Amino acid sequence: MKESLLEILCCPLDKHDLELENADYDDEEVVGGNLVCTECGEAYPIEDGIPNLLPPDMREETPA
Amino acid sequence: MTLEERRDAEPDVYQPAEDSQLLAEAACERLAGNETVLEVGTGSGYVAARIADGTDARVVASDLNPHAVRQARTEGVETVRADLVSPFRDGTFDAVAFNPPYLPTDPENEWDDWMEHALSGGEDGRAVIDPFLERVGRVLAPDGVVYLLVSSLTGVDGVVEEAGDHGFSAVAVADESFPFETLTVLELH
Repeated sequence: MKESLLEILCCPLDKHDLELENADYDDEEVVGGNLVCTECGEAYPIEDGIPNLLPPDMREETPA
Repeated sequence: MTLEERRDAEPDVYQPAEDSQLLAEAACERLAGNETVLEVGTGSGYVAARIADGTDARVVASDLNPHAVRQARTEGVETVRADLVSPFRDGTFDAVAFNPPYLPTDPENEWDDWMEHALSGGEDGRAVIDPFLERVGRVLAPDGVVYLLVSSLTGVDGVVEEAGDHGFSAVAVADESFPFETLTVLELH
């Protein structure tokens, strides 16, 4: 993801802003790290450059 | 790669079909080009990539399925793993496009894998469409529009009515008939 994506993202639970923490970069691209909610503190992982912004109870890899 | 080979290569991701094409064409024709656009349930990333290539819009794509967001990213689209529109800020998008899972499915025939999530709309075909209609208004900018693919198998009138309950007026902007269904792209304001 590009850092500019943060301008349109929010915490899926409480809709507050997210902060990028422990970011790994590949050129301009953020390929790893966490997006952390500035309000509730929930951390959302960036996996292979793709932020996983599913609520924690939906995060598993398996369907259903 | 033929369509069949592509389907075999990515069994966990819905690959572009007639409905994807109809939605991509309708959106490209109607967007002015400088919008910020979200494609929900992007699957392979085909529709999002077509909009990005065919317009100057900034396109973001989301999907619930981890395999789908990985494939869509290889199409060069910015992707987010998300439940519908839940991690996007209020009033962000000038347009939201969605080719939802819409096939009415008998609960006893649900087969519970990623492809089912891409295809099945539950018993009435609207298990995903209805929550989408309830939530999408929050992320739309003033004068923002929704492009929603609907099949006659789901029932277009029912979807139009449900959209109306959430404050949208619907216009059909494209349709195409096939032996077993008619596909319609609704533009919601």
